[in-house]
Amino acid sequence: MKTEADYYALFEAYRSGELAASQRADLEHRLAADPNFAQLFADFTELTSTLHGYGERLATRRKLHAIQADLDAEQAVRLEEGETLETGIPTMPQVYISPVERKLRAFWGAHRATAMVAASVAVMAVFATLLGLEWWRAAQQRPSLYGYTVLRREVERIKQTQKAMNRAINQIDGTKPETELNPGKFSGTGFALTADGYLVTSYHVIQGADSLLIESRDRQRYRAEPVFTDVAHDLAILRIKDRKFSGFGRLPYSFKRGTADLGEKVFTLGYPREDVVFGEGSLSARSGFEGDTAFYQISIPVNPGNSGGPLLDDRGNLIGIISGRQMDMQSAAFATKSSYLMRLVDSLSAVGTAQPYNMPRTNLMAGTSRRQQIRKLQDYVFVVKVYE
Amino acid sequence: MGKGIPSYTDEEFVAAIRRGDDRALAQLYRLHLPMVSHYVLQNSGTEDEAKDVYQEGVMVFYEKVREGSLELSCQIKTYLYAVCRRLWLKRLAEKTRFGGRLDDHEPYLETGAEADLDLAEERDKRFATMSEALERVGEPCRSLLEGFYLLDKSMQQLTAEFGYTNADNAKNQKYKCLVRLKKLFFAHYKGEESF
Repeated sequence: MKTEADYYALFEAYRSGELAASQRADLEHRLAADPNFAQLFADFTELTSTLHGYGERLATRRKLHAIQADLDAEQAVRLEEGETLETGIPTMPQVYISPVERKLRAFWGAHRATAMVAASVAVMAVFATLLGLEWWRAAQQRPSLYGYTVLRREVERIKQTQKAMNRAINQIDGTKPETELNPGKFSGTGFALTADGYLVTSYHVIQGADSLLIESRDRQRYRAEPVFTDVAHDLAILRIKDRKFSGFGRLPYSFKRGTADLGEKVFTLGYPREDVVFGEGSLSARSGFEGDTAFYQISIPVNPGNSGGPLLDDRGNLIGIISGRQMDMQSAAFATKSSYLMRLVDSLSAVGTAQPYNMPRTNLMAGTSRRQQIRKLQDYVFVVKVYE
Repeated sequence: MGKGIPSYTDEEFVAAIRRGDDRALAQLYRLHLPMVSHYVLQNSGTEDEAKDVYQEGVMVFYEKVREGSLELSCQIKTYLYAVCRRLWLKRLAEKTRFGGRLDDHEPYLETGAEADLDLAEERDKRFATMSEALERVGEPCRSLLEGFYLLDKSMQQLTAEFGYTNADNAKNQKYKCLVRLKKLFFAHYKGEESF
């Protein structure tokens, strides 16, 4: 019995063609007949061919390494000689990169994509937040139409400057600082409608109010409640509910039922600041914002806080209630026509509420000078403070 | 570089390399190294990595040519580029976490490089097993087999080197070694991951 090694000797001889013809035929016959023997031969073939291939691979690798080494050596020589001789293409000057920078570059290379994604997410988050906030604020300010600004004053915003101003004034006066009072959240202007405690202001001044405080020029404060509101014409009627309130006295102005003429000299008193402010102009148009016929356009510079103030003509007739202004127009203010106020009062009287509306019928201001008119009027114009 | 080095066409290259012309191989190697080196350097590789990849790529080409089984449907340059590109992308994928960035919408797939690479990979595995088996077959067998098969020494040379009394002794020893190697090789190769 032959060993496997003996067979290998036989196979190798067969492969290299050293076998005699008879032996060769014998082997081939056996290969065809005996599958186990054939498997043995196949294994031998695979083994030797793999060995040869492996040898060749190693040889090739050596060859390639040698070629590369040659190239590297050539390059080194060329660099030493000076680059212009050989190719005419100058080798690029080598920039020395410090290890730290190399590390940073490698880091950047590896994490660039992540960094980009993070940065864009951050940018998007910032913009989303900003836009979201802007949108939210816009949603908060409901009643302002495009370009139309209602003139109720946000007290909180100016409280700081107010305080600073008071302090400065007190320093000049040398008087004792006043006790702090809650200034309310918003404020506007209002004026007396009847002698027995009805007042008129703009609806948007008292919008969302929890409680209302009326403050007169001599710092007299009264608590008030809304009696009726007319959103469409931006009107609100208030009534003072304090028991100590004894009445305003006789009102110096009367209410005009018709419409006033274009070019009429008009004036107003209001509280855009802590003090009463006079404003004068003329009646510019008999329609308001976007052609709203319930309003006048007037050329009085008005500010937040002027809302709800009375608009009077030269003879002391009340012709309107200041409501708002247009942002993109120079001194275009709007006032509700007094006829709408009259119509509202008439309808309320007809329904018959608790107290009748005793509207003033005579006008004490006609024919007097503007200064006297104002002196009479100013006691009937009030700050309306709104607490939410 | 007109230094009297003969310039070959693609067909001449293939023919010369098949004949075993080392000068042609060196010439070819020189010719396309800058291209591959540039590609690898552009894609966050180093000079050494470029050389490695290029040598591997040339190896694939060379072995195909030597076998006579190369079916070139494009320029050698394109073929080499495709092979090296593929090899480098594979290395990159192993190196980095971002393995999914192999953008293979380019027309390098029609060069046949992909299929050739799969074959080459299979062969690499076989050679790795062989190398492992040779490591484990033990001395003198290893030196004997390496001498005969890998370094192409003759039996007479080996007989003298290893101090056998005659060539037949050396041959017998070689066959025994071959049987041992066979057992190791097939045990690992067929049984795959049994190392």
